[in-house]
This record gives sequence, structure tokens and C-alpha cells, in this order.
Amino acid sequence: MSMIDIKVAAVEQVTPLVKHFTFVKRDGSPFPAFSGGSHVVVSMNVGGRVHRNPYSLMGSPADTGAYHISVRKQEQSRGGSVFMHENVEVGTSLQITYPVNLFSLAKKAHKHILIAGGIGITPFMSQLIDLNRLNANFELHYAFRSPEHGAFADQLKAICSSKLHCYADSKGERLDLLALLSKQPLGTHVYVCGPNPMVVAVIETARNLGWPENHIHSEQFLSPGIGEPFKIQLAKSNIEVHVPAEMSMLEAIEAAGVEADYLCRGGVCGRCEVNVLESDGALLHHDHFLTDAEKAAGKKIMPCVSRARCDRLVLDL
Amino acid sequence: MERGYWIRSKPVYTSLLWHEKATSHLVVAQGQGGMAVLKLFQLMHPKQAITVLYTPYAEADYSKTLVKVVPEGLHILETEQEVLAKLEIVLQGMCMGMRLYIAGSEDFMWSVAKVANKFGIEDAGMMKELTGTLARPIYCVHCKATTHGVTTNIGECSGCGRMLFVRDHFSRKLGAYMGLMIDAESPGELPEIEEIYP
Repeated sequence: MSMIDIKVAAVEQVTPLVKHFTFVKRDGSPFPAFSGGSHVVVSMNVGGRVHRNPYSLMGSPADTGAYHISVRKQEQSRGGSVFMHENVEVGTSLQITYPVNLFSLAKKAHKHILIAGGIGITPFMSQLIDLNRLNANFELHYAFRSPEHGAFADQLKAICSSKLHCYADSKGERLDLLALLSKQPLGTHVYVCGPNPMVVAVIETARNLGWPENHIHSEQFLSPGIGEPFKIQLAKSNIEVHVPAEMSMLEAIEAAGVEADYLCRGGVCGRCEVNVLESDGALLHHDHFLTDAEKAAGKKIMPCVSRARCDRLVLDL
Repeated sequence: MERGYWIRSKPVYTSLLWHEKATSHLVVAQGQGGMAVLKLFQLMHPKQAITVLYTPYAEADYSKTLVKVVPEGLHILETEQEVLAKLEIVLQGMCMGMRLYIAGSEDFMWSVAKVANKFGIEDAGMMKELTGTLARPIYCVHCKATTHGVTTNIGECSGCGRMLFVRDHFSRKLGAYMGLMIDAESPGELPEIEEIYP
């Protein structure tokens, strides 16, 4: 996969847990343009091992001079976000993928309701600029732990003014989803990005209020979980690959020198889907891409986030 | 027609079924579509608010039965134009969660869909049941006029008079099948014209 060589031009501590990074291209040329809601995958070398994490681009889509991402330091991390926080500084060189948008705005919507939880605010930062440019009807509902964790709240206030509604958990402020989604005009689309319980709550509330599926949008990148080590056989390459506890299947396949397709590396896009030729145990599907029926059938797996508990697993790679 | 051949753009219509999670229901029907509405109410009288817009045909008039069956919000209208005008008014007061059900000819259903589109209701948010006739709306790719109620494999364009071959290629935006001039290469040489969409 072709990558873009970048260097870090600025680092800012936004909240106790969130850092904002500004990237410029190493050769000084402009970045490709992107659309609101896009992400890039940042490749980092952590102690000799390559980590690739997806992060939403949060700058203005019109600004191709620099890309902006924000990273929340994850307590239960395999090291990627900690590396970004502790080892990446002004001048650091990294590689990123070209932007991909899996969370784009619905062009035909008459109204947009954006719901963000914590670091889930990042994809909306670029979308807001598109929405303002299009003079679209929108509301942003932003929930966070406490005011000190409400990243970019001041900046958002400037962009959204009265369209911004903040909810600080520490002050007992709660977003009432049922009230919010009950009385929306026809043609409204809802978008959610945040922690899993929030994403599930928004999707379920909208569905129970009769909203059509194509008016409900969500994005939630997963980080590959830590699990039990296991072994896989790659049929086409004719090799056996050991997947250690703290490595994803995709990372192990790549480390073995086998080229596998991927885009988001977060269980969302479906690009890395692989056919399962044989297995004698349980496939542990963690992705948001395969349907429940496909997961149950056990013929496909997303190696970026999913794992297996079995003695023999043969993949079509 | 070649067996097994189909075009993805061709709409697939189903039988109307209440959407169980809807917060209100809007049913729009024409002529024989009244039977589809009666079938809906045979299934259940939903708890949520109901609005029914119906325009009868002389040969298919279910008004009398609908008046007895529909518990509230029934509007019997004289023409399709009146249905569309009433629809505009009704939609203005509706919220997300309303589900739209349409029954009638393709001409009628796609005219209703166009009004609904203006309010941000997308194709996937409407349920449609084809009733009464297979007659097609045809969009002339040459003069851009739409000819309604075409029942034959080749139809005359109401705009430019060209003889149009009626394709299966359908546009949801235009609400019509594409029609292409059949005798462009050899003027006046027409294959046999047959009724295949009665």
C-alpha cells in the first residue's frame, strides 16, 4: 500500500489525555484533499514492531498544507497511543496512508444531528467545516467526562455557536436521546462516534423510533484486542504464522512477510476480509463489518481485529 | 427477452406491511391500490397515528369499504393531483419515525415518491406495492419528456413524437424507465408493437 511520508510540525496537549498532532509532508508538497469524516492510518515503529492505528482527520478539508489528528492515550492500549503520546514530538517522521472516508455526510439530508462522546469528536471536526460551508442545518451534541476532558470545546463553540450542546458527566448533565430523536423533522440523519455503549444507545433509540437504517450513521474504530496466542495456516503462501497474544492476526501476517489488503484496521471497512478455508474451533469475531449471519457461518474473518480459539485455522492467503 | 436477464435498476415492489417500530403511518393509494390498503388493515389496526390518502378509479373504487375500515385520518380525494397536493400539506407536519406506504400504478407511486423526496424521505424509507396495471412511465432520453401509462414494448413520446423502445433501465430520480428511439438508424422501420405492460 502506498504511504505518505510525513513529519510532525506541532504537538499540543489538549486535555490531560488527548494530544493534537499537526502533520506536514516531508517533501513540503500539499496533501491530497479529503472530505469531512475521513481518516488516515498512522504507521509507527514501536520497539521494532510496526503498529498501524486509524485516526480521523480533524482539520479543515480545504487545508491541504497540513493534516491534523488527535490521539487519546488509552489505558488498555497495546502501545500505539502511548507511543504517540510519549515518543512522537515535533520533527518525528512517520508514515500515513492516503485518507479514506467511511463516515461521510449524507448529501441528501435536510438536517444532520451529530452525537460525539469524548475523543469521538474528531471525525466531526472536519465534517463541521463542510456543514458550515454548505450552510446545512445541523446540531452537535458533545458528551464528555468533565469540562477538563471536553477537548476542543472552545474551538467548537466558535464554529457552531448555538448549534453546539455540551454535556459534562461530572456536572450531572445528560444527553436525553429519546427526547432528542423523537421530534426531528423528516429528512434528518443522525451520526454517532464515541464509546461503544453510546453508539449502541443511539442506534437502538433511532431504530425504536422508526428511523430508517440509512438515516443512522456510526463510526467506531476498534483496537485489536489482546487475546490468547494461536496459530494460522496461510494456504496460498503455504506457511504457518504464530499470532502472539498482543498482536493482531493482520499484524502477524504482515510480520511474516505476506502482503494482505487493509484500509481502516479497525473492523469497520471490510477491506481485509479473508476467507476461512478450515477451522476446528471458535472464530472470535470483533468487527462491525460482517453481519451476524456471516459471523455465525464462520466462512469469513476480519484479521485486523478478530481472533480465534482453535488448533487449526486455514486462511485463503 | 433473454431468460435470466434483469437490470438492477428495475424496482422491486413488495406487499405492504406495517413497520412495527414506526411512530406514525402514512398510506397513499390509488384505484386498485385500495385493496392493498384493506389488506394492511386486515393484518392489524396499528396503535400509532394513521393517515390514509386515497383516490378511487371508476373501475376500482374501494372508498366505501375504506370508510368503514380505516379508524382515523382517511382522506378520499378525486384526482391524483389532489392526492399530491394533500400529501405536501400532510408531510409538513410529520417527524422522523413516520413510515410511508404507497400502492398503485408505477406512474402514481413514483409521483408520490417525488413529493416525498422533497421532504428528505429517501427511496429506502418508502414501501411500495404495485397494483392495477403494469403500465410504465417512460422518460425520452432525446427530448427529456416523460410519457405516462405506456403499455406497449414501443411507445410514442408525448414530447417529440419519436417512437421509443421501452427499456427496463429505471431512474429513481426521474421515476421512469428509459425510452430510446427505436428507428434512429432506419427511419420508419418499426418492429411489431405489442402490449406487454397491460
